[in-house]
Amino acid sequence: MDETPFLRVDAVSKRFGATRALEAVSLAVDRGAILGLAGENGAGKSTLIKILCGVHRPDAGTVFLAGKPHRPRDPAEAEAAGVSVFHQEIPICPDLSIAANVFLGPAMPRRGIAPDWKAMERRCVELYATLLGEDIDPRRLIRTCTAAEKQLALLVRVLSRNARLIILDEPTTALTPPEVERLFVIIRRLRGQGITFMFVSHMLEELTQLCDAIAVFRDGRNVGRLERDGFDVARVSELIAGRTLRRLGVQSPARQGTPRLEVKALSRPGAFEDISFRVQPGEILGLAGLQGSGRAALVKSLFGAPPAARGEIRVDGTAVAIGRPQDAIRAGIALVPEDRKTLGLFDDMDVKTNICMAGLSGWSRSGFLRLGNLRRVAGRMRDDLSIKTASVDAPVRSLSGGNQQKVLISRWLALRPRVLLLLEPTRGVDVGAKQEIVELVLGLAREGCACVVSSSELEELLQLSTRVLIMNRGRVARELDGAAATKDAVILAATT
Amino acid sequence: MDTAIAARRRLGALQRIFGLRDFGVLVAAVLIAVFFSALTPVFLTSYNLFNILRQTAELGIIAMAMTILIVGGEFDLSVGAIYAVTGVVAGVLASRVGVDIWLAAAAGILSALALGALNAVLIASTRINSFIATLATMMVYRGIAMVLSQGQPISFRLDFFMDLFGRAELFGVLPVPVVWFAAWGVFAYVLLHRTTFGVRVFATGDNREAAELAGIKTARVKSIAFLITALASGLAALISLSFLKTVTPTQGTGLELEAIAAAVIGGTAMSGGVGSILGTFLGTFIMAEVRTGLVLLGTDAYVQDAFVGLVIALAVIVNVKLSARK
Repeated sequence: MDETPFLRVDAVSKRFGATRALEAVSLAVDRGAILGLAGENGAGKSTLIKILCGVHRPDAGTVFLAGKPHRPRDPAEAEAAGVSVFHQEIPICPDLSIAANVFLGPAMPRRGIAPDWKAMERRCVELYATLLGEDIDPRRLIRTCTAAEKQLALLVRVLSRNARLIILDEPTTALTPPEVERLFVIIRRLRGQGITFMFVSHMLEELTQLCDAIAVFRDGRNVGRLERDGFDVARVSELIAGRTLRRLGVQSPARQGTPRLEVKALSRPGAFEDISFRVQPGEILGLAGLQGSGRAALVKSLFGAPPAARGEIRVDGTAVAIGRPQDAIRAGIALVPEDRKTLGLFDDMDVKTNICMAGLSGWSRSGFLRLGNLRRVAGRMRDDLSIKTASVDAPVRSLSGGNQQKVLISRWLALRPRVLLLLEPTRGVDVGAKQEIVELVLGLAREGCACVVSSSELEELLQLSTRVLIMNRGRVARELDGAAATKDAVILAATT
Repeated sequence: MDTAIAARRRLGALQRIFGLRDFGVLVAAVLIAVFFSALTPVFLTSYNLFNILRQTAELGIIAMAMTILIVGGEFDLSVGAIYAVTGVVAGVLASRVGVDIWLAAAAGILSALALGALNAVLIASTRINSFIATLATMMVYRGIAMVLSQGQPISFRLDFFMDLFGRAELFGVLPVPVVWFAAWGVFAYVLLHRTTFGVRVFATGDNREAAELAGIKTARVKSIAFLITALASGLAALISLSFLKTVTPTQGTGLELEAIAAAVIGGTAMSGGVGSILGTFLGTFIMAEVRTGLVLLGTDAYVQDAFVGLVIALAVIVNVKLSARK
């Protein structure tokens, strides 16, 4: 190995408005090494990657690549310097062959004005053999490839263009365990050929299995680096979590009596398996887990969108068949979806119609709208939730993100649900509105509503929940009581 | 930024004062009327205005129904063909089989509804793009009209029915088709803007996934909109056969595109979720104004289509500019 590290990041900082995304981050990777990046969402990993690949420019600090300053102005320049990034969405053309995707671009082999397919296919097979040690059919269409095969095609593509540092941003989320193994074998093989890697994953086992060192990010800082001989999963999750936070003091309500919501052995193949839990009136059940752990799919199945394949759902002791959202609404279940833009709000409509959408029939007479009713209901929700809007007749898109979220929540509160399901309730709202929404949910629980909150923001989840259910690969990995639920315990259960 | 907000406020105030979302379209309709009446005195007479409305009643009835469908996020290109099938079914039964005209007309309306239901089932069950699906059914339905009529026009004997749907003039001035036009307009307006069904149509077209999650059966909403559109085509066909006392299997060719054009001029968004019956009414009226005005000016008939095309382009540009300001 060389004396100087292949990549050296020296005191790099980056701000976005008032947010400090990176704060004097320094790290180094040797040539032919694999550095793992760990940290919660928003810890700064993505910002660093975007600086390395030329999407963002640092406010302060320098990046050195092979001893020389690395200041790409756009991704093309970064790629020319030998830095390639793999995101979760793979930018390839599904209706072209593997060979065409590998060589697509100005350097495509030609004969006259036509692409030279024969040469491309021959070289493609050679590349796969020498780089990956794999045998392929270069004429296969990308559309027919699995996610893993698409990744490999992209890997060959960047390697054929002399990539020297490859950054893999959560490459394993779409892969099955054997495919992950195969990818790791290939990464180790390429490391042997002198390629340097940065590897981002939320799965701590993957990090400790593959990497030579792990850098942990928290709140925009590099808070620690562990070398291969000092790997310890518990230590990594402690570093990721950082301080322990104050709780909002929700008492556990009585466990006796009929649960408001009871779920027995609920399964949807490919999303979640054999989930059972109970929620008492006044309880807030938190669902933690990584993206793809099945928690969002579970919550949506409770609402029939789409329904579970097997299992039983009971509300106040009565079994309910939930095949579509209408059934859930009839059973007193409400769902605030995770993305208010695409799944919640009707952009072209006014505030009152948005609020009243799920209960229109109740506020109308034989199908005819009673605008007075709608205004009254919406006005009451506006006052209760202190939604800041000029009038309930104002278009919903004139509201701020936090207020739009409150409109969406009030659509369901107006129905007085017995069970309220919330997915990422504070995503994309500012700090003040976040606190208001948290308090709103706490208030609802006090009134006897059973709440199920699924969130990626662990701190908020721990603040809210009476109990936390941690999901991992579609199953319940652990159930923690409010008092016992600490951040690193949750992270450990979710990532191992 | 601040000026943009101020401009939006001013726009909002304007709309509140006039209480009319379709204010811009109304202004355009008035300006066009002013333009033509300046060039020809005949334009702004009650006779001519009623004439415009009578001529455009069939298109308007279909366009207003189509607006409900477009707001709900779908299209129906088969309306012209359904219009032909309705006429031909009524014509064959009444003139060739000898069935009573009322029964024949009822059969025509029923066949229109059946074809609309077929569209609805096709699109609801397969989720094919309705543009493509109804392009296919348009050709199939036109074929049905051709086969049933053997490609020949069919004429009717004069009857009270003809008076009721096409030829009578209320109070001696108001042509019956205009009355039907107005009645259907009120029906469509109430349905889209004053009922829970209407709100569900807007929600479905605005954001289908969100509508599903709000408990709206979007497939049913769309199906009903297809039936309403087919019913409008049937009604328009009865008005046409009553006025002309004849039907042809090729009638209504191109009607689907004119109906969509009228909706677009009236401010209906092709992406769904935005539109109004009043806007479409004005859009239909503008198209008729331009055609009639050009005729009164003695313009070459071949130039008229080109002008209507220009009006459509202009309307769409204004629409895009207005929605960009939001």
